[in-house]
Amino acid sequence: MENTANVLFSIGPLEVTKAVVSMWVIIAVIGIVSFIATRRLKDVPGPIQNAAEMAVAKLQDYFTGNMGAENARRYFPVMATFFVFIVVSNYSGLLPGAGKLFSVPTANLSTTAGLALIAFFTTHVVGVKRRGFVGYLKTFLTPFAVMLPLTLIEQLVRPLSLALRLYGNLYGEEMVTEQLGELFPLLLPLVMQVLSLLFCLIQAVVFTMLLSVYVTEAVEDEE
Amino acid sequence: MTSGIIALAAALAIALSTIGPAIAQGTTASKAMEAMARQPEMANTIRSNMIIALALMEALTIYGLLIAFMLIGKI
Repeated sequence: MENTANVLFSIGPLEVTKAVVSMWVIIAVIGIVSFIATRRLKDVPGPIQNAAEMAVAKLQDYFTGNMGAENARRYFPVMATFFVFIVVSNYSGLLPGAGKLFSVPTANLSTTAGLALIAFFTTHVVGVKRRGFVGYLKTFLTPFAVMLPLTLIEQLVRPLSLALRLYGNLYGEEMVTEQLGELFPLLLPLVMQVLSLLFCLIQAVVFTMLLSVYVTEAVEDEE
Repeated sequence: MTSGIIALAAALAIALSTIGPAIAQGTTASKAMEAMARQPEMANTIRSNMIIALALMEALTIYGLLIAFMLIGKI
């Protein structure tokens, strides 16, 4: 899926593509906004602090609904980071020049595969931490030891489907918008972009929801 | 000849992978509407859960779309 024309420069054997640079910019923007929002915390918040507080409160509510209060509080940082990063990079596709000047990081299989790998290891590390190594391995044998191959396949398919779902949606959306633009450049791509206002958010919600379900499954005690 | 077959395969990939999720989404939406009509006070919860479920089914179509794009790239 890598387009060699997108390589800007290389550091040693690593080729830095447009998507990587866009990702750096997005990380910097998120970092700067969070820094400004939390620099001088006040009792009566200003507009940026107010927006940040609202976002954190909404996310906390959402994860509490998914994982229960205690798990949500414990794993909030990783979940919220996933959510904020995916939302911002999805919406960056709506800025003018997306795909030409810069490319949307999540419309690139490498980025989403990276995210899915982080999610995969998060799940297992969290499970091992909570139950101990042997205890966590035992969960693969419940309820029946015969199911072991199926369970293993399921565990391995999860990151694959997470990566492909996010990548496919964003890439497909970009392609459809481009095709519509070729058909009739004026206003017609707007139809797809209005839809993508909705889809970008939903994809981020789905990614974090699945991750929270996996994490809950890894740490939860079975009856 | 080969490129014609590849084009046909791309069309089939997206067409066939639309059928299943379309049926599933129809069922989901109709059941959700039913539930909303029965319990209007739960409408918001049902709606957001329905949208997430729809997005999960949508992913299956998107897999087909990906394959179709890959096949078209091979022509």
